[in-house]
Amino acid sequence: MIGAKGRRGSGTMSIADRVTSTSERPPRPVILKGIAGSHGLAIGPAIILGAFSHSFVRRTVKAREVDTELARFTEAVARAQEGIRLVVEKVKSGHARAETSILEAYVQMLGDEMVAEGVERNIRINRQNAEWAVSNTIQELCDRFGDMEDPYLLERRHDVAFVGERIIRALSGSDKVATLPKLIQPSVVLAHDLSPADTAALVKEPVVAIITEVGTRTSHTSIMARALEIPAVVGVADALGRIGPGDIVIVDGFRGEVTVAPTPEMITEAEERGRKHIALVRHLREDRDKQTATADGTTVHLRANIEFPAEAPLAVDHGAEGIGLYRTEFLYVDRAAPPDEDEQYEVYRAVLETMHPQPATLRTFDIGGDKFVSTFQVPPEMNPALGLRAVRLALSRPDVFLAQLRAMVRASAHGEMRIMIPMIASLREFEEVRRLVGVALREVAARGQKHAAVIPLGVMIEVPGAAVMADLFAREADFLSLGTNDLVQYALAIDRTSRSLAYLASPFDPAILRLIVTSVTAAQKYNRPISVCGAMASDPLAAVLLVGLGVRELSMEAAAIPEIKEALHRVSLAEAEAVAAEAMRQESAEDVERALAAAFAPRLFDLLADAAGETTI
Amino acid sequence: MGWQVRRGRQGPMTDSVAEGHFEIVNNLGLHARAATKLVQLASTFACEVEIAREGQKANAKSVMGVLLLCGAKGTIVDVTARGPSSEEAVRAIGQLIASKFGESS
Repeated sequence: MIGAKGRRGSGTMSIADRVTSTSERPPRPVILKGIAGSHGLAIGPAIILGAFSHSFVRRTVKAREVDTELARFTEAVARAQEGIRLVVEKVKSGHARAETSILEAYVQMLGDEMVAEGVERNIRINRQNAEWAVSNTIQELCDRFGDMEDPYLLERRHDVAFVGERIIRALSGSDKVATLPKLIQPSVVLAHDLSPADTAALVKEPVVAIITEVGTRTSHTSIMARALEIPAVVGVADALGRIGPGDIVIVDGFRGEVTVAPTPEMITEAEERGRKHIALVRHLREDRDKQTATADGTTVHLRANIEFPAEAPLAVDHGAEGIGLYRTEFLYVDRAAPPDEDEQYEVYRAVLETMHPQPATLRTFDIGGDKFVSTFQVPPEMNPALGLRAVRLALSRPDVFLAQLRAMVRASAHGEMRIMIPMIASLREFEEVRRLVGVALREVAARGQKHAAVIPLGVMIEVPGAAVMADLFAREADFLSLGTNDLVQYALAIDRTSRSLAYLASPFDPAILRLIVTSVTAAQKYNRPISVCGAMASDPLAAVLLVGLGVRELSMEAAAIPEIKEALHRVSLAEAEAVAAEAMRQESAEDVERALAAAFAPRLFDLLADAAGETTI
Repeated sequence: MGWQVRRGRQGPMTDSVAEGHFEIVNNLGLHARAATKLVQLASTFACEVEIAREGQKANAKSVMGVLLLCGAKGTIVDVTARGPSSEEAVRAIGQLIASKFGESS
């Protein structure tokens, strides 16, 4: 796809020039809506990472130039490989450790013989200069991958395009600083999409925020941005068409908004909010070792949701009392084969050791039907959310599932570990999982490997049927955890990914509250811990409501913990219970929110300003 | 299926040709990791190595080429090596495929 996307040229043009030119004829501010990928607020000039925008001369070469062009190509490949190796080193030494295997694969793909053969043919026979020859060869390969039916292979065309772009950059000598043009001032990086290599290269650059045209809250860019604590707005349609290099933008990672060419007033307002947020975060962090409790002293446990092992230290930093949800499926992403038992064991062990003596709840892989087909080769389904996913997929592949369970059992020797099963819909499924955990335990013990004497096994309540039958699960399982995001999707029949229906997908819907109460009551009856680990837990008003409904454990993104801790600290249990009782009498999500806001908004307003736009996730 | 090496028509010594037909037996087939291992192995031999499926041929020293073969589990691939140590190359590749590329299934 070389040359197809770079409407705006490469981002190396002078930012100062651009700022001057925009100030001559002030354009009107434009607000672009996207998805809040990572919290925070930043203002800066946009710099465009036009991954495919590198323009080059297409030139027919003379016979005597053929050898020169071939040599240029060979040298460019070596330089491009060296460039990626440097990024690998950077990532490995940086504080935000990320998966480097994909980068290492790029090194190999750069030196691919098929690319080399195609380029040589284009240079020798078609007499194309090296840049042109590379571009054509890569385009051809991209097309071939683009024709593939297998979604895994189809996705590889992006890797091929990336590789081609790296070689072309190396040919023109503009590859000095990893993948980014040298940033001369703190800038907002704008791209159609950021490859893992691009994102990793941001680690040591003065990047204040990220905007991408594609992506969701769980895409690689968002996760990396959160790990790096840089605000990000993803999924901004046509951002490249509407933001030019050097344009001043406000990136609002709370509301998921980008303001282009803001007025001075807007900038002042944003700076003010940004400062408040930073001050608040600092203040809250200072309190991180304080026990979380309501104003009248009821203890509530706040834990962190993590996706990557590298986030565990961040959780500790934010004062998490353990990990309430470790989404292990991220170990399976972006690779053809599932990670083997030993690899998983090492990863889980690292998480448990980091968190010790706090507990960590490891959720077995929740892989959806359409998401990571490459690992499991699941046939395409009409409704992946209702299809072969999570525990269903696990039970259909006991070999893969047992490898994960054995790795978890072995890791249990190194900390306080719990295992949680996603998407349980029936008691039979749970019994089958329990049997397999028993098998894993015996297999590990038979090898003479260590494991904890007791490993609590819990159930995620996210299928409405399971919430209705919560008493059975509370009787059988060691703990329950409410996954409110999926519970909302399934109970209200609203696709999580639908943006036009997002306004309906409220965890404050009375139907959801009743399912929560049913589950909490069941857990209390059998004296089982119950936690809430959906996005709901990270909304201050919702957190107060949940505590009022009897929940004493909340698990959320680490960054939200200080705010929720502060919110709970300002409200007494008696008040929370009274308002929760009132909320249960309401007939709509709006009424519930209104009741909560009336009772608590005046006291929590500074925390709520930051949470705006988050409640519907 | 195992591996079978057949000595083809050949000139003296240097220009030996060896062939083998192997069934892909690992669950994931020739995906990135397996393809990478195959390419790394093939690249240790000086001879040319070609891998083909239903007449579609690829350079066994190119990850992209091997990926594009789309060799799912159950596919039969034809490996042809030309040049020095061709027999060893084919035999080694056959063993790698039969060992499921070191994957557990």
